[in-house]
Amino acid sequence: MKVNMPVTDKEVIMKDGTILVTRTNLKGVITYANDAFVEISGFALNELVGKNHNMVRHPDMPSIAFQDLWETVQASKPWTAPVKNRTKTGDYYWVEANVTPVYKNGSVVEYLSVRYAPSREQVDAADKLYRELNNTKPTTIRPTGLAKLTKNIKEMSINKKALIATILFLIPNVCSMIESYQTQDMIHLGGVAFLSLIAVMLGYSILSGLLKTITSSQSIFKEIADEQFRNEIDLDRNDQIGDFYRDLYSMQVKLNADLAFSKQVGAESLRIKQALDNVNSSVMVANNNLEIIYMNNTVLETFKNAEADIKTQLPHFDSSKLLGANIDQFHKEPSKQRGMLAALTSTHKAELILGGRTLAFVANPVLDEEGDRIGIVVEWLDRTAEVKIQKEIEHLVNAVKEGDLSNRLELADKTGFFEHLSAGINELTDGIEQAFSEINSAMQYLATGNLSSKITAEYHGVYGECKNNINATIDKLAEIVGQVRESSDFINNASREIAAGNNNLSERVETQASSLEETASSMEELTSTVKNNSENAQEAKKVSTKARGLAEKGGDIVTSAVNAMAEINESSNKISAIIGVIDEIAFQTNLLALNASVEAARAGEQGRGFSVVATEVRNLAQRSAAAAQESKALIQTSIQKVRTGTEFVNETGSALNEIVTGVQHVGDIISEIAAASIEQSQGIEQVNQAVSQMDEITQQNAALAEEASAASVSMSDQSETMTSLLAFFQTAETSGIKRAAIVPAAAIRSSVESQPVSSSPKPSVRTESARVVASNEEDSEWGEF
Amino acid sequence: MSNGAKVNQSNIKAQYLTFDLAGEMYGVEILRVQEIRGWETVRDIPNTPDYIKGALNLRGEIVPIIDLRIRFAMDNVEYTPVTVVIVLCVETEKGPSVMGIVADAVSDVLDINLSEIKDKPNLGAKIDTCFMRGMYVTKDNMIMLMDVDKLLDPEQFEGIAGILS
Repeated sequence: MKVNMPVTDKEVIMKDGTILVTRTNLKGVITYANDAFVEISGFALNELVGKNHNMVRHPDMPSIAFQDLWETVQASKPWTAPVKNRTKTGDYYWVEANVTPVYKNGSVVEYLSVRYAPSREQVDAADKLYRELNNTKPTTIRPTGLAKLTKNIKEMSINKKALIATILFLIPNVCSMIESYQTQDMIHLGGVAFLSLIAVMLGYSILSGLLKTITSSQSIFKEIADEQFRNEIDLDRNDQIGDFYRDLYSMQVKLNADLAFSKQVGAESLRIKQALDNVNSSVMVANNNLEIIYMNNTVLETFKNAEADIKTQLPHFDSSKLLGANIDQFHKEPSKQRGMLAALTSTHKAELILGGRTLAFVANPVLDEEGDRIGIVVEWLDRTAEVKIQKEIEHLVNAVKEGDLSNRLELADKTGFFEHLSAGINELTDGIEQAFSEINSAMQYLATGNLSSKITAEYHGVYGECKNNINATIDKLAEIVGQVRESSDFINNASREIAAGNNNLSERVETQASSLEETASSMEELTSTVKNNSENAQEAKKVSTKARGLAEKGGDIVTSAVNAMAEINESSNKISAIIGVIDEIAFQTNLLALNASVEAARAGEQGRGFSVVATEVRNLAQRSAAAAQESKALIQTSIQKVRTGTEFVNETGSALNEIVTGVQHVGDIISEIAAASIEQSQGIEQVNQAVSQMDEITQQNAALAEEASAASVSMSDQSETMTSLLAFFQTAETSGIKRAAIVPAAAIRSSVESQPVSSSPKPSVRTESARVVASNEEDSEWGEF
Repeated sequence: MSNGAKVNQSNIKAQYLTFDLAGEMYGVEILRVQEIRGWETVRDIPNTPDYIKGALNLRGEIVPIIDLRIRFAMDNVEYTPVTVVIVLCVETEKGPSVMGIVADAVSDVLDINLSEIKDKPNLGAKIDTCFMRGMYVTKDNMIMLMDVDKLLDPEQFEGIAGILS
């Protein structure tokens, strides 16, 4: 009798609805325990499996109970009773144990124990019974004496009971028949006999039918227990037996279906287990006590591989004894891990380093349908090789990052993915190294100015783009260098021309400056001339005013003369009229004398004397006429002359008037001239200022021209330098072609410097009068002006 | 005076009145001269030739006035204060009549010896010189002496007859 000690008074209450299942072989060795049992027992699964079932026995249990159990089950009968069990820690728990033999092909192969949570009454009654049994120590708990007899009668075979009942039924009938026979009441006898026979036959028939039913049902039950569900059952009967059969049939079908479902579930679970067994991930399942209850093949493999390494740190580690062991053994400080895992409600990831092995694990709680945690699934990953290669790759990548492309990953110690990965990384590094060495050499050529070297190898993707871009850069650079060369030649020539031009400009500016000086002195003279002009004009204005007065006076005199002349003319006209009268008189006298002559002639000799007189008269008349004529002519001449004189005087007057207006005009003009002279003077002043500004500007221009000259010389220098710098580049075009000789800038410089260039003329404000002198004194270069 | 000397040298002397026509001297017998007048405006007679200037009332007698300058187609026909009208007595077939001629001026009364009168020049049949008596030559001038009757023959110019009658 095994006694498991120690024990405590602490009861672990079994939850309602929980079923604890164990299987034992015919010797009572546990072959299977479900999770609920493992959990409540406190043992690890591997502590239970392979051990005798009595290891969970509590010392309070009377041994006779177990004897009864064994007797019962060995008689191929199920046994049930409340049982007090002990946990690993000594606590106790009550179960309603049901033990039944399991048949296989008609014979018992194992025992199945199924335990339910007992009611408190059951527990109390059992506790009381077991105490009594422990005190009395009976040899059997089976009924004895009368109880046994009653029980035997009660449990007598139905056949026997029927036989007894038949006998008991027939005794009075036989007595009655005997009596009837004695009385020769044959009818009565016959009737009783017939009825009794019928009753017996009927009873037999019923009984045999019942027994047959029971027997067939028993065989069916056995079949069912042996998982044979295709039993023929008569469903057509209408009596109670028919009902019984139908219920039996229903049960069979239901059980079949449930079993099929369970099998399916089992198959599914098995499939999952098989799958889990064979997945590449290392999966381990622990119960709530953190005992390993499942390990798939990969995890076993993993720990087997890692065993030697792990043992260096955990000497007691044994990969073959992991199943059922506590997960704590992986940790040096189990309490911390236990606390963490006990509280695990969500995914936990961590990494362990054991003896140089890097083991990553992911722990997840496994929950039942109510959401209670029923275990932990842990996924292991031996990352040692991975970490190693990670480090190697890290090292390589760091080297590559630092620009060291000489490192490669060792391929010999790697297989599979890592070999491929390493080979790939090596190829990648090779590719990068090749590309960079090509780029490098191209760049080196470029650095030495060789623009004819290009990357010729074929590349794709970014390398191709890089190659194309570098080649394009080189091409473009060569093109640009060519263009820059042309430009620099051009600039060189142009700068020389500019230098020469600036020299010319400088000279011209100097010439201009001297011209401006001359202009300034001319302007001085002009100023004084204009001032003189102005003064002279003022003088002339006075003179003209005086002349105007004189001319006006002359005009008055002329007017007087004209008047006098008119008077003379008038007198002359009067004289002329008088002479006309005289002439008329002479004419008339002459006519008279002629007529007298005519008369005298007509008178003949008598008229001779008269004729003489007439002739004398006529002579007188003619003389007076002639005198009158002469006078008249004289007077006419006089008048003519007076008229001419008048005309002259009038002309003089008008001439004087013209002179007056002319003088006035002259005066006005002179005034205008004076005003114009003043304006001219102002204008000349402005011109002077302008000239002096121009002078300053010209001096500045001269300075600028010099600066420009110097700048152009230095530009020429620079362009020469640039050209010589550009000679550094060798393009396909220029290699082997001798550059045209370039006139050294020094030659230009010397030619420029030989010019008399004034050094930085100071921009000075000089008065006009002092300007020429000052410039002469201040700047010796201007001396030639 | 010279004229008197000349008179002395001829036997038969005649007095001529000389006058001026367009600068040339002409002469008429003084006995034919009735009167010498100064020019005055005459009454115009319509429907007569140009040279008939008109008629002059001479103390109740109507005297036709002929401008010889126009008659002889001379230039420079003008009437001045010394322009005179010489009233001449003309012997016609119908008896004596009085006519006036316009002269630029009256020059003188000359005593001319008839022998000193030169014949009129023969200029051919075609040129009519009938109204000339002859030429008298002095030292200074040649004086054309007019035949008054022929000069102022009313037959010569139509229309005058009507006036005269």
